Amino acid sequence: MLFAEAFRSLRASASTTLAATMTVLIGMFLLGLFIALGTWVVSWSDHVKKEVIVKVYFCTPMSCGYEATPAQINAVAAKLNADPHVKTFDFVSEQEALKRMRKRLPEVFKVGLPSNPFPASEEVEPKRAEYADAIYKSFTPRPKGVETVNYGQKTAKRIISVAKVIESIFLLAIVILLVASTLLIANTIRLSIFSRRREIEVMKLVGATNWFVRGPFMLEGLITGAVGSLLAVILLLLGKELALPRILGHINGGSDVSAIPFSLNALALVLVGLLLGAAGSGLTLRRFLRV
Amino acid sequence: MNPPQTLTPPLEIEQPPPSSGPGSMIVFEGVTKEYEHHIHALDDVSFVIEKGDFVFVVGASGSGKSTLVRLLLKEIEPTDGRIIVGGRDLTRLKRSKVPLLRRNVGCVFQDFKLLPTRTAAENVAYALKVQGEARTAIRRKVPEVLNLVGLSHKMNSYPDELSGGEQQRVSIARAFVNHPPLLVCDEPTGNLDPDTSVGIMQLLYRINRSGTTVLMVTHDREMVDKMRRRVLALEEGRLMRDERRGGYASE
Repeated sequence: MLFAEAFRSLRASASTTLAATMTVLIGMFLLGLFIALGTWVVSWSDHVKKEVIVKVYFCTPMSCGYEATPAQINAVAAKLNADPHVKTFDFVSEQEALKRMRKRLPEVFKVGLPSNPFPASEEVEPKRAEYADAIYKSFTPRPKGVETVNYGQKTAKRIISVAKVIESIFLLAIVILLVASTLLIANTIRLSIFSRRREIEVMKLVGATNWFVRGPFMLEGLITGAVGSLLAVILLLLGKELALPRILGHINGGSDVSAIPFSLNALALVLVGLLLGAAGSGLTLRRFLRV
Repeated sequence: MNPPQTLTPPLEIEQPPPSSGPGSMIVFEGVTKEYEHHIHALDDVSFVIEKGDFVFVVGASGSGKSTLVRLLLKEIEPTDGRIIVGGRDLTRLKRSKVPLLRRNVGCVFQDFKLLPTRTAAENVAYALKVQGEARTAIRRKVPEVLNLVGLSHKMNSYPDELSGGEQQRVSIARAFVNHPPLLVCDEPTGNLDPDTSVGIMQLLYRINRSGTTVLMVTHDREMVDKMRRRVLALEEGRLMRDERRGGYASE
């Protein structure tokens, strides 16, 4: 009975129904796009932040005039172990440092070096990129055997602040989009209800309860919301499968960079679409039910 | 009959003062309706309509006739006074019970108020559906009442395929299909030509004879004079006349 009434009015006002469905479709498509992009960017900035590493260089005869003793090195390791800001740390020996450098700049090493100029170091990964500075400061004044500490302060700071800006821009965009599509959908539904306010008046005059009037309208909104958001999900899926591989080939951030799982995004969109459709028509009706 | 009237007649009521009993269909007790700017649409109006009566409400535009109808359907609330319809005190009736009231008060309007996307039969059926009437009962009652109003051959026509008189018959069928104890008609012949109006009046008269109280707001002077039923005359929100067998104008 309820379904029959809802489908009947969907058919009777096909053009407004189409308009409402398209509005939901556009709103949900943009929202889905931004959720995917936003979560991808956040994940990318996390990835970039992981590359912020604090390096603790130990003394060599060349730099301090004496070699750091194993006891001094162990003391630094113990200190890092106790530091709550530290996620992991890794000891890099002089030989290891030389090997890495040789790999990175092979042409320099063609000349050959008389001795190994590279110091041993601890590579410290902070729990969060923002903690790098705290770890850095905990090494001033320098403990015995530590020559210098460095985390590419300028670069790291820039990475952190850029990531922060990008994250907040995307969050803001998602909120704005959510509000905008809510208003847009509510407005479209209001138009479709407004064109039928006479019908509502008649219903009330023959003794229909508010819920009897509201039921078919809300179901109609629900159907509109469901169809619109499902279409948006299909479009997004097509975009993801067809367009994304071509774009992503150029900006591969790393294996651990990924957007929110598509199924989760799709679920969110359909739920938001349903809610907007039903609540939009239910709330808009309130004005017209006071007959 | 009445004594000769002066130019500014004093409020004169033939009826005994309103006293409601178990046989009363409508009771107005000192009802005042004030819109903004202190305009009195109705000013201290009191009357009693017994079950089974046929009553005309006459008056110029703006005399408060439509306000009276809207008050009866609890579309609006009186500023002061008490309205009792079928034993229900409307001023104390909860908003959630208004649909129940309207199912017991059939209403017919000048502009028919039919749903344009539904056929005559569907329009009538809608009033039953609203009450949660069973499908089988709807299928039985709708042709019955459309037959009563003389439209059994146009059951599946849409309102815009029907003449004004036919549309009004559909709207009367819709109002009467529940067999409500009270039928309120707001200028039902206002948009119709005189011949069609007579048909509508005969239909309302038949409905009245079956026991339904009919309250009819009208401008149709000829009809009121011919029928010689009870007349309530409103003038600027005041009840100026209440005659058992009155005419459109005071004599």
